[in-house]
Amino acid sequence: MSARRRLPAGLLPLLARWELVLILLILVAGAWSAVLSPYFLDAANLFDLTKPYIVIGLMALGLTFVVISGDIDISVASTLALTMVIFAQLWHGGANIGLASVIALAVGTLLGTANGFLVSVLNLPSLAVTLGTLAAYRGLAFVILGGGGVTGFPEAFTRLGFGYVGKSLVPVSLVILLLFGGALALLLHGTRFGRYVYAIGANREAARFSGIPVVRVRILLFALSGFMAAASGLLYAGFFGTARADAAGGALLDVVTAVVLGGVDIFGGLGTIGGVLLALLLVATLRNGMGVANIPGSIQNIVIGVLLLAAILAGNLSRAVRGRTVAAEATTQSRIPVRQ
Amino acid sequence: MTPATRRLSPQALVSLAFRLREGGVLLALIAATLFFALRATNFLTVSNWQDISTDVAMVVVVGVGETMVILTRNIDLSVGSIVGLTAFLSSATLASGRGLPLVIIALVAMAIGAVLGLGNGLLVAWLRIPAIIATLATLSIYRGLLFQVHEVYGSDVFAFQLPHSFLYLASRKVLGVPFLAILALVVAFAGAAALRWTNWGRDFYAVGSNPEAARYHGIPVRRRVLMAFIISGMLAGLGGFMFAARFATVNVVSASGFEFDVITAVVIGGVNVFGGSGTILGVVLGAILVGTFTDGFILMRVSEFWKIAFQGFAILVAITIDALITQQLQEALRRRRRREVLAARDARAPST
Repeated sequence: MSARRRLPAGLLPLLARWELVLILLILVAGAWSAVLSPYFLDAANLFDLTKPYIVIGLMALGLTFVVISGDIDISVASTLALTMVIFAQLWHGGANIGLASVIALAVGTLLGTANGFLVSVLNLPSLAVTLGTLAAYRGLAFVILGGGGVTGFPEAFTRLGFGYVGKSLVPVSLVILLLFGGALALLLHGTRFGRYVYAIGANREAARFSGIPVVRVRILLFALSGFMAAASGLLYAGFFGTARADAAGGALLDVVTAVVLGGVDIFGGLGTIGGVLLALLLVATLRNGMGVANIPGSIQNIVIGVLLLAAILAGNLSRAVRGRTVAAEATTQSRIPVRQ
Repeated sequence: MTPATRRLSPQALVSLAFRLREGGVLLALIAATLFFALRATNFLTVSNWQDISTDVAMVVVVGVGETMVILTRNIDLSVGSIVGLTAFLSSATLASGRGLPLVIIALVAMAIGAVLGLGNGLLVAWLRIPAIIATLATLSIYRGLLFQVHEVYGSDVFAFQLPHSFLYLASRKVLGVPFLAILALVVAFAGAAALRWTNWGRDFYAVGSNPEAARYHGIPVRRRVLMAFIISGMLAGLGGFMFAARFATVNVVSASGFEFDVITAVVIGGVNVFGGSGTILGVVLGAILVGTFTDGFILMRVSEFWKIAFQGFAILVAITIDALITQQLQEALRRRRRREVLAARDARAPST
């Protein structure tokens, strides 16, 4: 009994500061990379290693909201592909690149809204709905562009994905990610809408009874996820200089890992934007280090997969600890006589 | 209010709904067959249907396992990777010229699949990781294992390296029916029998309908979920063996995305994604429907890309219809219950 009590007492403060654990892990991964390669700690490399993960990060930021609200959206990578393909075809057909971008963002929002409608209004499980649209959106992307690719975007556009701010070492895409991160952190942590998201994730029924417009908020969350996927599609086209229907096919693992590893509870109700951004940095550092160490992509995927499982396990553990604390409090409280 | 519905017991009403659901898939299948028969040349030939049934066979075999997992309110996204890994292991073993009997190879493939399924089951049932996340991770992990095995082996496996007896499995026909299709029928019958008549098979439905109630009822919920994943892995292993025989060329990306064919067939076939309801007959019909469309698209020279989009929309339509049916059914049962309660009260307290 006493041993059981001591364990939570030691673990709780540690797990409560999940962000601290992430920072430690990033430092360990960074140190490992620095040992492997003398170039790792080069400022240029440190900034550049984030570039391929901006695309993942933008999708993860949108998914974070959906997961905190207790749902999941596994269609994000397909939404990215479909909006990017539409953008590329519009531009290829002679449309202004700014207009094409705006249309792509609007289409992404619409695709997300479609997910949200099916989940929220028709009350279908988000996993099954987004599994369906994962295939549907990807298939439409292939139907529109086929197996080929569109290239030759103007430099002003590719700079968004590939260029640097002025003559500094800071990638433009990193600035974009941080701007989105900041804005979404404000939305999630500083507004009533953000509190609605947590409330819905913690207990949807209770949220409904306390007057939160649950149906509308859930649609908006999926719309946001679609918008972010479209935004990351534009950066993807800029970064790789090519728009293809099979883009980001294996990205889902990294996106979900960033969200869950960032401390977002997969059952909803908990999580922070800061944690997700840190987890993204951890994944980027790890993959960069493994790349430097010549570890093939397939093994990298195994490592990331194991990391994802470990992150959920850590969450389960902390929930068990919290649950026990709450249960203990409940039993103490139930001894207090209730007066009617 | 019609006399017919009033006379039906709740069980009969529910099973009527399921018959209607299966009938819907059958109607869609007939409509699709008619459409392709009119529009696609060579669709109604014997050899085309032999091709379709061979392709459908693999989906059915893996689908029976996936059905059991989805019945328990879980999902197994890793089956494509398990099929790929076991297909490579089976064919590489045969190609390296060890004179093992095919039955042994098939059993070993199933055993390997079962171990991989056990991994999924432990993550979900014991470590309480949501199935979608656990199997998304193992999808990558098992595919990564295949890359490693491939590296050790050194190359892809090609048809000319494989013994004739193995390739003959896929081309062999009994009374015109492909051998692989017969194998799939056997698996489907065994699966349907297990779900209908064994205690553990009935438990899958109970666990999926209401895990809490199942636990209070004394059903070992965790063991049943574990079992469903093991069976799913084992049948994916058998599917891998069949895949190798059918395509004869196996590489690191073999069967990636195959989980989609399987899940589409299962969901179209009426297995509820909320768990707790669905039949193997429906899944077989669903697999044939998907196979018919795939084949019809190819014959009509429709881009294969449409197939992916079609599968996605089919999943959406199927889950929407299922949700509506469930809603109607629940409401009908609730109305009837209310009527019964009122009737009983009236009977007890006659006019005062």
